[in-house]
Amino acid sequence: MKDFDFEVLVVGSGAGGSMAAYELTKAGHKVLMLEAGRDYDPKTETPMFKRNGEAPLMGAGNSDKDFGFYDATVDGGWSVPNEPYTAAENTEFLWWRARMLGGRTNHWGRYSLRFSEHDFKGKSRDGLGADWPFNYEDIAPWYDKTEALVGVCGTNTGLDDMPPSSDGVLQPPPKPRITELLIAAAAKKLGIPLAPMHRAVLTRPLDNRAACFYATPCGHGCSIGAAFQTTTSLIPMARATGNLQVITDAMVKSVDTDENGKVTGVSYVDKKTSTVHQLKAKVVILAASACESARLLLNSKSTRFPNGLANSSGQVGKNLMDSTGANIGTMVPALKGRPIYNEDGHTANHLFIPWWGHKAQERKELDFPRGYHFEIGARFGEPGAGLQGDFQGYGADLKRQVKHNYGAYVGFALRGEMVPNEHCYMDIDPEVKDKWDIPVARFHWKWSEHELKQIEHGLKTAKAIFAEMGAEVGELPTPEQAILKGGEIIHEVGTTRMGASPKDSVTNQWGQSWDCPNLFVMDGGVFASNPHKNCTLTIMTLAMRNSSWLSAQLKQGAI
Amino acid sequence: MVKDQNNTTVDQQEMQYKSGMTRRDSLKLMMALAASALLPAALTGCDNAPVSNTDAGIGAAKASTEHWPELKLSPITATGYGKDPNLILPPESPWPLTLTQAQLTLVAVLSDILVPREGSVPSASEVHVPAVVDEWVSAPYERQQQDRVIILSALAWIDDEAQMRFGKTFVALTKAQQKAIMDDIAFDTAETPAQFKRIAEAFSRFRGLVLAAFFCTPEGIKDIGYVGNVPIGGDYPGPTKEAYEHLDKVLADLGLTEYAYPVQA
Repeated sequence: MKDFDFEVLVVGSGAGGSMAAYELTKAGHKVLMLEAGRDYDPKTETPMFKRNGEAPLMGAGNSDKDFGFYDATVDGGWSVPNEPYTAAENTEFLWWRARMLGGRTNHWGRYSLRFSEHDFKGKSRDGLGADWPFNYEDIAPWYDKTEALVGVCGTNTGLDDMPPSSDGVLQPPPKPRITELLIAAAAKKLGIPLAPMHRAVLTRPLDNRAACFYATPCGHGCSIGAAFQTTTSLIPMARATGNLQVITDAMVKSVDTDENGKVTGVSYVDKKTSTVHQLKAKVVILAASACESARLLLNSKSTRFPNGLANSSGQVGKNLMDSTGANIGTMVPALKGRPIYNEDGHTANHLFIPWWGHKAQERKELDFPRGYHFEIGARFGEPGAGLQGDFQGYGADLKRQVKHNYGAYVGFALRGEMVPNEHCYMDIDPEVKDKWDIPVARFHWKWSEHELKQIEHGLKTAKAIFAEMGAEVGELPTPEQAILKGGEIIHEVGTTRMGASPKDSVTNQWGQSWDCPNLFVMDGGVFASNPHKNCTLTIMTLAMRNSSWLSAQLKQGAI
Repeated sequence: MVKDQNNTTVDQQEMQYKSGMTRRDSLKLMMALAASALLPAALTGCDNAPVSNTDAGIGAAKASTEHWPELKLSPITATGYGKDPNLILPPESPWPLTLTQAQLTLVAVLSDILVPREGSVPSASEVHVPAVVDEWVSAPYERQQQDRVIILSALAWIDDEAQMRFGKTFVALTKAQQKAIMDDIAFDTAETPAQFKRIAEAFSRFRGLVLAAFFCTPEGIKDIGYVGNVPIGGDYPGPTKEAYEHLDKVLADLGLTEYAYPVQA
């Protein structure tokens, strides 16, 4: 990069890093992006239309490809070769990583729900966790800009958990499926509304990206660019400005500082040659994912910063949050043998169950502080390695059972907000290092009563909805049995949280570290709380807003 | 004569299922196996009649008491396809296959009992289900290794049972004799007799795998009726008129009509 005189160095090419690069390069700043994984081109590498039967093990997941053979994740999943992480004794945490250009945006669920005023001010309401250092009105215009750029389908529902987008921002959502319509009627009888999901999937063409053609699962990646990933959108758009250069297979080891504590650049390992390189930069933006960025800061120790960089508050690695998760589902007799049609749609929820309990929480009717939503899994899916149903016998009768059950299974996936607690955090393992000689992250985890009560409520609610559909889920598991593991929902955030004061937060509202003005964090690490609504849209929105602010600072000579 | 790893003898070399078989070959094999099985059955004259355990065969022992093969399986040491396989051209043989010829042939016969040919819809072995079972149980991953023990034990149990009842391997039995054993083990319910509980459970796993493998094939996808994964121009059309009408009936039956979610026709 000798001939490329860049101003800003971005670590990570996922949701946050790519949005930062897009916004800054568009504003005329030269940006160098480092990505720890390999180069990746969805246009040539996405297994579009491939059938499960063409894949080893009918596409089933395993320790090489946790979410199935065709999942877009490269060199990652719950484990990354040669790059372990650890968990403290008696705790368990799962950490999903990708080592590829575009990071986890190549595989994510694309659910894109705005946080609301309610979400940003949880502590003011119930005294738990932390407030965000801005109000919903401050970020609302940036949500509009991000949704318009990314392309989000959905509608303004008027529900209190779904703040509206400005007119013309959202693209039209696809029609609901039969299963979703049945659930909607059953839930409505219990006073629970369903609503069109907001999803970063184009239903109308945008820029060089085609509209969805309602086939081939989004988790495989999307070569036509309908399902948003940075490798078909923000990265090529930023490159087109001529202001972006990218180095892949570049694993950043430390953020470097001078004797005055000013950030001077980074050191990274070129994975192809196993050599360490130093790069100088005026500004460094960390967007390596919440836990990878926190790991990097904790590993960037110096005499001036003995506890790690940007950590005068002691909050780096703390406040680790995931979404709560639980699954519940069963065969719905009324759906057996129903007429078959193409139910792929955009291959995920057309309708979902948003959180409906704000008023009940205000009235103190619920014994848990924060909300959740249900995602729905119920459609005529492509046959794969697992068939739903309790089948008996053999021959023609057996096949009739399979066909009769096809499309009759309904599954609910709960996704809820957790409250940060002192037992959930990450630090650096004092003994274990990865292949690149970088000390690894060590996780600590424990759900609190807030989450367990929420899961209990969710399971009971789901059971009641199933009952209205004439389906019996049987005896419910305990919340301890039902709650998924920390990290398993892949919404880990909070490890470099933003706040109003350098005493208890790592960055200000612009993602600028309190300790080093030319160091920014633009991934999920800056979240002050973790609303139940899937973090990626807000990561991108913050990265856009904060990069715009950074650009103004650079132009004014303030940084 | 072929000695396989289990030291059982397969003396009808032409009657063996091979992974690379064309559908035509597979069909011929199954017909040959069926023909051989038919002969003794025809002699007893009960091929299509319900068969009780006592009259199914020649000097047949009564349904067995509980037994279970304790297999000593050598561990699978192959590596997987790794974390960055080519997704466009998936590996065709990602790891060495481990089923013996006799096991494969047994899998083929069992698969076709589970999923027989129905009119123009092929049977399981015609669409290479045994090869998928072989790939599955030979895979070096945790879940598949667990299934390997279950499924190989089930296969060994079925041959042991066939020997105990009828003095032959399962493949060599008449259809009626095979059916007698199937009727004992293919139903894993509360009423399953104690001595068949364990095999019924193991056979359930095998059945699940065979069904999945069958319905994953183009022929199986057509048979189950999946019509997706085809590009659609314009907006997603949503449910058909027939599907909406069915939903309306379901809602009425459940007393949910007044709560119906509004849909645009």
